[in-house]
Amino acid sequence: MKYAKVYFDDVKVGDELPPLVKGPIQQIQLTRYAGASGDFNPIHQDDEFARAAGMGGIFAHGMLSMGFVGQAVTDWAGAGTVRKLGVRFAALVRLKDVVTCGGRVLAKSSKDAGNLVDLEVWAENQKAEKVVTGRATVALPGRS
Amino acid sequence: MAIQINKALIGKEYPPYAVTVERGKIKEFARAIGDGNPLYLDDRVGAASEWGDLIAPPTFAVTFRDETADTAAFLRELGTDISRILHGEQEFELFRPLQPGQTYLCRARVVDIYEKAGRSGPMAFVVRETAITDRTNEIVATMRHITIVRL
Repeated sequence: MKYAKVYFDDVKVGDELPPLVKGPIQQIQLTRYAGASGDFNPIHQDDEFARAAGMGGIFAHGMLSMGFVGQAVTDWAGAGTVRKLGVRFAALVRLKDVVTCGGRVLAKSSKDAGNLVDLEVWAENQKAEKVVTGRATVALPGRS
Repeated sequence: MAIQINKALIGKEYPPYAVTVERGKIKEFARAIGDGNPLYLDDRVGAASEWGDLIAPPTFAVTFRDETADTAAFLRELGTDISRILHGEQEFELFRPLQPGQTYLCRARVVDIYEKAGRSGPMAFVVRETAITDRTNEIVATMRHITIVRL
């Protein structure tokens, strides 16, 4: 079930997030993301510009892929649970690429800040190349 | 020909700027990602939630920018232009979700600039951090942004 509530008590180290599949990436989504984010770098819109810049053509905003990873985390843990999300953009996402996001539980801890779960997160393309790698921390409710 | 990056910018703090989060902007951002979470999109679901209103997706703070500042000017000051930059890394720390109607104060500074050899040649890494506080000066979020400049 989508948006099912996840409790801290039920999470185990090694648990995997359900994969989230996004794409194929279309130009219209990059244009839409540019408008929504305010990042109008022509390298994501104008193929001629991207080629002249030596990038071999248009590629997606890294932040769009990070948004996908954020969605994979909140689809599982719930919106508003994310305390930290940090990523490295490991490879470019091109038009027509299919991006699959995943994650795995690395650690659990209960502190003053709440019940925290640390995750390894990633996104990969259809060739199983990592395009995003990173870490996230979510705060989950306890059962009691 | 390789360009020179202006490392004198390390430590530079930019004038604080205020951002008021618009409800429609949160929805537009969630839809652009293709994230249909009702806590980002459905006002009634937001109102009934523990937050009492919509909340923003975890990466939303990336939309915060000083509307009076010229991005091209920052790149010029750095010694580069938009055709040479890539996004290297990004991190958000969120103490609570950002919400519509709230006004936040953003303080950005250049934390570090360093050079490294990359697969496609020499690159400079420009690390910027932004602290986001609410009207009572309480910290709500921080973001760390690493821009890569192809030298």
